[in-house]
Amino acid sequence: MADTTTRAKVRWGLLDVAVVVFALTPVLWIMSLSFKTPATLTDGKFIPREWTLENYRTIFATDQFVRALVNSIGIALIATTIAVVLGAMAAYAISRLDFPGKRLLIGVSLLIAMFPQVSLVSPLFEIERQLGLFDTWPGLILPYITFALPLAIYTLSAFFKQIPWDLEKAAKMDGATQGQAFRRVIAPLAAPGLFTTAILVFIFCWNDFLFAISLTSTERSRTVPVALSFFTGASQFEDPTGAICAAAVVITVPIILFVLFFQRRIVSGLTSGAVKG
Amino acid sequence: MADIVLDKVSKKFPDGTTAVRDVDLEIADGEFVILVGPSGCGKSTTLNMIAGLEDISSGELRIGGQRVNDKAPRDRDIAMVFQSYALYPNMTVRENMAFPLRLAKLDKETIAQKVEEAAKVLELTPLLDRKPANLSGGQRQRVAMGRAIVRQPKAFLMDEPLSNLDAKLRVQMRTVVSRLQKQLGTTTVYVTHDQTEAMTLGDRVVIMRGGAVQQVGPPQELYDHPNNLFVAGFIGSPSMNFLTATVEEGTLRTALGDVPIGDRIRRELEGADAPRELILGIRPEHFEDAELVDEETRRRGMEFTAPVDIVESMGSDKYVYLSVEGERATSAELEELAADAGAADFSGAGSNLVTRLSAESTVTEGEDRRVWFNLEKIHLFDPSDGRNLTLHEGRAAGTLAD
Repeated sequence: MADTTTRAKVRWGLLDVAVVVFALTPVLWIMSLSFKTPATLTDGKFIPREWTLENYRTIFATDQFVRALVNSIGIALIATTIAVVLGAMAAYAISRLDFPGKRLLIGVSLLIAMFPQVSLVSPLFEIERQLGLFDTWPGLILPYITFALPLAIYTLSAFFKQIPWDLEKAAKMDGATQGQAFRRVIAPLAAPGLFTTAILVFIFCWNDFLFAISLTSTERSRTVPVALSFFTGASQFEDPTGAICAAAVVITVPIILFVLFFQRRIVSGLTSGAVKG
Repeated sequence: MADIVLDKVSKKFPDGTTAVRDVDLEIADGEFVILVGPSGCGKSTTLNMIAGLEDISSGELRIGGQRVNDKAPRDRDIAMVFQSYALYPNMTVRENMAFPLRLAKLDKETIAQKVEEAAKVLELTPLLDRKPANLSGGQRQRVAMGRAIVRQPKAFLMDEPLSNLDAKLRVQMRTVVSRLQKQLGTTTVYVTHDQTEAMTLGDRVVIMRGGAVQQVGPPQELYDHPNNLFVAGFIGSPSMNFLTATVEEGTLRTALGDVPIGDRIRRELEGADAPRELILGIRPEHFEDAELVDEETRRRGMEFTAPVDIVESMGSDKYVYLSVEGERATSAELEELAADAGAADFSGAGSNLVTRLSAESTVTEGEDRRVWFNLEKIHLFDPSDGRNLTLHEGRAAGTLAD
């Protein structure tokens, strides 16, 4: 028995390692490239022969990248906040109330999630130009919220459904208004769900390239993924690979920080002990 | 503290089902009232309507003389203990109990003091800083009670608060609930499906079936003088024995022999529309081993002989199961009771009589035994509507009464 479990553990361990190596190799490769000098860039060595921070210096020297980073952080944070707040309210209503048109609402939000985004780019471009939203922060925040909301509603309603309804009744009996019951009893219990959703939505906004390249034209609201594609070398003959790699590494940092920060709050089993299960 | 009055309260759900029908109930200040009935009888819905968690479709609900139909739960000043306890898992025991007080915007010192007091009453003081997840079932139950008593509400509502506890703890907590209610003197409405809890706890018991009140009264009265077949079958454990009885030549022909009837019952049965087929009900303790009955008592009852199926010795007395011939009594009420007990599809051939005989009885399994039963304590029911025919001015006096 013990033998089989050890063997099983080893097997699973090997499988895990394989998956991690498969997923992380490109990332490590990019990191390695970002530390290489232009001369050694194409030597095919995994560990750079000459280490340099020149690439990082380059990207932070250009106003282009720093500005894009600020845009990215700002737009993603605002879109995430709004999407999670709206999503929480919608998901709460869906999981707790029976109202006319509930199925329709779920259906429509699913439809939005399934709609190919690329087909909306041209209409959005026209609409935003007419409304003067083109190349502004709201011009990106609004479509991000639209596409993040179905995701938020889905994940959150799953979390809300797990919370025993008796808790809300108990809060009401204890003298809470509907709002107080939600804020002081339900929301703290749904916190893991809120954070999970926030992470997913943030990653979605942060990584978006399609809307960002179509609905922006200047540094005013260009986000990092787009800014990367506009990188050029010092001269037209110079290859900006090193700089792009450095920028790619830099933009993964906020997302890692974001995930790590929120992950600590995702404590499972938060509702245990509420009701006799 | 306040009285609670339900005036023709009904609950109709949007899908058309009526969960509660015209319930009239007056609960006096400080009274302990139990709502009891099989699952789906509307007792929880009634409680939720008093709480304000469900809307009242029609009728009026008054708490302390004030109409509260349209008031939110928070404005009714009543506390509720849930079957699931519904403790806030993100808060400690202290915070759980303080929650209603904090919502009422009391100052910190008062809150701390009140929580300490309530914790002392329920012996929760050493647990105050624990989270619900680290408490046992019984402790959680006490915290739920603590959260209810801490703000001294007008009334307590309890929705099967003990049904999640194991049998031993339930008996223990039953006395705790009872003592607490007497100590605080707060009007309490308690919902349960357990007739033992209903009998032991309440000042008055309300028996419900299919959304309607069947009978309201002190436990002993419901036991001795049930209004109808349903109440008779629901109250008591082991439950009342039911046999078919045919009215023939001024007597009742039953599997136990011909049962004589008194003048009053005879008059009632003489009517043209009077039923010919009746249901006879006898409680297990109204049987006795014929050997142990003295002459004086013997005259008040009658005897029969039946084969003994099973003997269960309880120490204090013996439960003896007798096989009797003849059809099992049937009616809608009895079927519902059987379904609630989970025994609807389990019935042996013929009918089985449960009797409770003295421990001194020498009865053994397999033998034919002579058994006596008390005619003054038997009930007769009309199978069509379940009405108790032996009941006269609210009193049941057996079939012999004049």
